[in-house]
Amino acid sequence: MLGNQSGEFSENGDDEIIRQLCANGICMKTTEVEAKLDEGNIQEAESSLREGLSLNFEEARALLGRLEYQRGNLEGALRVFEGIDLQAAIQRLQVSVPPEKPATKKNRPREPQQLVSQHAANLVLEAIYLKAKSLQKLGRITEAAHECRSVLDSVEKIFQQGIPDAQVDNKLQETVSHAVELLPALWKESGDYQEAIAAYRRALLSQWNLDNDCCARIQKDFAVFLLHSGVEASPPSLGSQIEGSYIPRNNLEEAILLLMILLKKFNLGKAKWDPSVFEHLTFALSLCSQTSVLAKQLEEVMPGVFSRIERWNTLALSYSAAGQNSAAVNLLRKSLHKHEQPDDLVALLLAAKLCSEEPSLAAEGSGYAQRAINNAQGMDEHLKGVGLRMLGLCLGKQAKVPTSDFERSRLQSESLKALDGAIAFEHNNPDLIFELGVQYAEQRNLKAASRYAKEFIDATGGSVLKGWRFLALVLSAQQRFSEAEVVTDAALDETAKWDQGPLLRLKAKLKISQSNPTEAVETYRYLLALVQAQRKSFGPLRTLSQMEEDKVNEFEVWHGLAYLYSSLSHWNDVEVCLKKAGELKQYSASMLHTEGRMWEGRKEFKAALAAFLDGLLLDGSSVPCKVAVGALLSERGKDHQPTLPVARSLLSDALRIDPTNRKAWYYLGMVHKSDGRIADATDCFQAASMLEESDPIESFSTIL
Amino acid sequence: MSDSSSPPPPTNNADSETTVSNDSESNTKCQTAIQSLATIVTTTDIPSTISNLLNDEAVSTAISSLLQRPDSGAGDNNLCRWLYDTFQSAEPSLQLLVLRFVPLIAGLYLSRVPLRQPQAGFEAVLLALYAHETTSRAGQAITVNIPDLSHPSIYHESKGLTRNNNSTCLNIAVLSSTLDPHGTVRSTRRARIVGVALELYYSKIPKMPRESKLNFCESCEKWAGQNGETEQPSRAVIPTLSDDSWREEEDVAIGGRSERDSGRIPLPWELLQPIMRILGHCLFGLKVEDRELSEAASKACQSLYLRSLHDINPKAILATGSLLRLREMALDPKNQIDHTEVSNDTLLTV
Repeated sequence: MLGNQSGEFSENGDDEIIRQLCANGICMKTTEVEAKLDEGNIQEAESSLREGLSLNFEEARALLGRLEYQRGNLEGALRVFEGIDLQAAIQRLQVSVPPEKPATKKNRPREPQQLVSQHAANLVLEAIYLKAKSLQKLGRITEAAHECRSVLDSVEKIFQQGIPDAQVDNKLQETVSHAVELLPALWKESGDYQEAIAAYRRALLSQWNLDNDCCARIQKDFAVFLLHSGVEASPPSLGSQIEGSYIPRNNLEEAILLLMILLKKFNLGKAKWDPSVFEHLTFALSLCSQTSVLAKQLEEVMPGVFSRIERWNTLALSYSAAGQNSAAVNLLRKSLHKHEQPDDLVALLLAAKLCSEEPSLAAEGSGYAQRAINNAQGMDEHLKGVGLRMLGLCLGKQAKVPTSDFERSRLQSESLKALDGAIAFEHNNPDLIFELGVQYAEQRNLKAASRYAKEFIDATGGSVLKGWRFLALVLSAQQRFSEAEVVTDAALDETAKWDQGPLLRLKAKLKISQSNPTEAVETYRYLLALVQAQRKSFGPLRTLSQMEEDKVNEFEVWHGLAYLYSSLSHWNDVEVCLKKAGELKQYSASMLHTEGRMWEGRKEFKAALAAFLDGLLLDGSSVPCKVAVGALLSERGKDHQPTLPVARSLLSDALRIDPTNRKAWYYLGMVHKSDGRIADATDCFQAASMLEESDPIESFSTIL
Repeated sequence: MSDSSSPPPPTNNADSETTVSNDSESNTKCQTAIQSLATIVTTTDIPSTISNLLNDEAVSTAISSLLQRPDSGAGDNNLCRWLYDTFQSAEPSLQLLVLRFVPLIAGLYLSRVPLRQPQAGFEAVLLALYAHETTSRAGQAITVNIPDLSHPSIYHESKGLTRNNNSTCLNIAVLSSTLDPHGTVRSTRRARIVGVALELYYSKIPKMPRESKLNFCESCEKWAGQNGETEQPSRAVIPTLSDDSWREEEDVAIGGRSERDSGRIPLPWELLQPIMRILGHCLFGLKVEDRELSEAASKACQSLYLRSLHDINPKAILATGSLLRLREMALDPKNQIDHTEVSNDTLLTV
């Protein structure tokens, strides 16, 4: 009510704080009153105020209390407040106000009277609020919370019908907002979490006419509380729910909802940007592995909040964590552009890693990795090893892209060199040990490969499935099938049944290699039972992502069985299995390859050729299909010279993609032989026989 | 059963907790547990009530030092047997007591795996926790519906088209996948079993004493391994932890191998996710900020952040990075304004 005067007096507070008390148009300095208070003489101070400013008892007390509070004299403030019978005052207000209420709808004439009662209410409420604050500062948190709650209870009692927006007294609103914000914080501090949750919900779901920033702060605090307190909040009561609206069922859902609402408020300019909200949301969404949602939220953030590089890099992390690698690579290309931030280590390493997974990008990835190595200096020197590791992986992948033999072996040896360099930095990084092993295996250095495979299993305590599979494959390449089977059995012991699919397939193949087809079929029978059980145990409630994670892949099982029967020449069984597999996945080059083998076995060469060619049309780089067509043409075409060059080019092409394919070498030798190039043929046969001695039962590249 | 301290959880009542039993029975269980503990821990007096035992530092220290012995995880270890029996008693207050040591047990267990020591004792305890969680969840996955703001909610209205309210465009995220019963620790399931034990720990974390959480932060640092932290300047301002020995190791570590590094373990998401939740609690979930604990937690975060850089694990980079940035913001005095403070005008009016 005296707000317009404040300007005149504020200039007094230059050096020392000289406080002034004003009321009813009269002002007085506080020094005298303060002196009386310091002597502990509350009543004298009070009476001098009542005389000096013509106040009533409660007004004087409230003013004194506030003065004591502002001076930091909390005990004193409490003493002053305890002198007022606040509850009685509230009851008086309750009696006086409601009768006017029913008629208030836009009833202008009554306004002045209402203002007075609001003023009186504020006087009392502020006194209680300050009492709560004093108690809080004195560490009496639970008492403080009770006082603070009584402010809110009183507000609800006094203004049962609410106050029309336009008529709210500023000071009253301020007190109410403060109390609404303080209450949950007090309960939280006192450790009474259920009360805290109730207070947060009361703050957010009742109408307190809070301003946007205050409401945003409470929403954020509640979200943080839900995320981190570790206390499971029961879902909000049904009363507060509108039909058809989204109802959070647990802490995380409620927290994420609140944080998203906050971000939206920021985006609409309704509240001041608070960077911590985005960080909390980042944390919450990455906990639930929903970083694609995070990316969407980030894309909606107004420009100018984040720098564009920051935005690109965070987006790239989010997309790559969600498996959307090409989107991530595109973003990183932007942020690593020479005009942006080409030296950012995290971005460089992430880009290199993403590129290392894709043969066509591997060359680009090598570039990023090299830049990362060059920039890993000083504080970041520890990341040099990571850069080298990525370089090794990218070079290894690059070597898979068809180039010249010379180029390939250069890339392979450089890849090894880089990985070896990395291990000097990260001697006990099991992943690196594994990658080094695979690199050696692909170059058919099986001794080194098996050493690293064993080291990897030791370092990880056998906890990673691919380690077991890798060791078994290396052993199978060394033609030590029974040992490979021992390893596979050991791995099966260490695996829960849903993860056993790949191992069982491996085992079946090992059985075949040891000429034990009946046991191989038995293994497959078990696999099929597993597939059935899996389907039953997970039922229809499975989400899409879980389906993708299915460990026992039914298609693979049927196809594997078909392949197994084809090597036993049980062509009818092959056909049945292929039909089953075809129901699950219609187009697959590897399945068409098996089908071709079936026709070939039944001496229906035209159908066989058609199947192989279909396979090639589906996947132009399918090596088995290429080799099969080449083989068919070279065998059937012995008498028809014109087909030999076609066979030769197909086989050479297959070898360009996979130089370790022994069948391709063999049939290429046959082509040379038919053409009369005996020396070339000898070379090919030699290669084929050497490779046969080091051929794993599944390609090494299936593990990485 | 005397469910004295836990908040009223409407949903997740374990089978064991719903069995009706009277106070005297649970009292007997507690007394038996206390008596048998007294035969194992001989260096200090055991308090006579369970509630005192949980927060008794002398006993905790004694148990911790027993656990840290090199052969502590063996199958015939008395303490492991006691922890196992105590947890199996299905008495909530006794279970809390066992959970209190989960950080230490998990830390030691995982770091000792490559050493090929017999650890059947630790495994039995961890499997008991896993089995408890499996039954209380009936093996079900924990999922989260990611909200979509185009639908109205209790906290906001939506002007957007609400054509079909029960539309399926909600994103369902799996927070913790389905649980299959395990009778033994198969090595490929090890991380999951420990991860579930940590999930259980997290669900009771408000009742865990701070030493237990400090143990956890230390375990995290060990698990993360050496990823070049020594160069971090923030290391200088950290108050002493109860166990100071790693500090010297770190100095040695610049040259290469360090002892601390030997605790480095693979950190798949099933392990990392509960770790992050616990660290989040240590940083932002306490009722009153605990400086020592938040320093320890932020150090653990720092280590895990560097580790995730080394693994180039984008999800972990995002999660750890956000915690670190939040921590930085929380320390910034700019963000420590008390908005509930009344204005400090020099002019006081009525």
